[in-house]
Amino acid sequence: MGSSAGSSVVVPRNFRLLEELERGEKGIGDGTVSYGMDDGDDIYMRSWTGTIIGPHNSVHEGRIYQLKLFCDKDYPEKPPSVRFHSRINMTCVNHETGVVEPKKFSMLANWQREYTMESILTQLKKEMAAPHNRKLVQPPEGTFF
Amino acid sequence: MMLLFDVAPGISASPSEENMRYFNVMILGPTQSPYEGGVFKLELFLPEEYPMAAPKVRFLTKIYHPNIDKLGRICLDILKDKWSPALQIRTVLLSIQALLSAPNPDDPLSDNIAKHWKANEAEAVETAKEWTRLYASGA
Repeated sequence: MGSSAGSSVVVPRNFRLLEELERGEKGIGDGTVSYGMDDGDDIYMRSWTGTIIGPHNSVHEGRIYQLKLFCDKDYPEKPPSVRFHSRINMTCVNHETGVVEPKKFSMLANWQREYTMESILTQLKKEMAAPHNRKLVQPPEGTFF
Repeated sequence: MMLLFDVAPGISASPSEENMRYFNVMILGPTQSPYEGGVFKLELFLPEEYPMAAPKVRFLTKIYHPNIDKLGRICLDILKDKWSPALQIRTVLLSIQALLSAPNPDDPLSDNIAKHWKANEAEAVETAKEWTRLYASGA
């Protein structure tokens, strides 16, 4: 008792992921990013599928992109691994594997505990509309890595 | 923060070393229940709003119970709208232990299990016993 560090409450991994799960189930903002758990039986909530609807004023407009996010035991101290399942041509995405490369996507490289799967997806959506990405020629829609 | 070890007969809780708000909990399946002989692991977290908000608790051990879902989340009124700051962690854990003795299929969290329970209670109880042997043997 007597601690004044009220703001330093650390939500442990599993409860943090339960919060994210519930938030994802309710639906986020305008619905252009969403996510859900892959295996409802996995008590450790590791595998997730995220969806991004391509932003306006970009070649991605109206396209639906699926991503795989994997939250290991050290999440959220460490970022999840993130890869696109849907094919996309984007500077931070490996052309062979679809992996979002932390070196080229600063949110993963400079990860902070407060970041969430929602913030990753939202940031990736912004990245799609960035000048260096929004005009890149894209693979056919509906193809996968 | 208070250290809890033997909370009550068949219940223990110990705070994690890294996070004093996070507890490893163990509840023994009550005698005369389908969970008898089982050792159930749970996790409990005191959120920032505690004690104005309820502790967060869930089962880590798989359990076949109409008020507990696949992710171990528990449907219990005092963890939700019936929470009061006057309640203690001990009360919460005792209530969860009591829930194991008295499954309530009329207020389910797992629809399939609740249906099973209402359609054929004897068979559902057998499944619960089987899951206890399979997943909660403590070995």
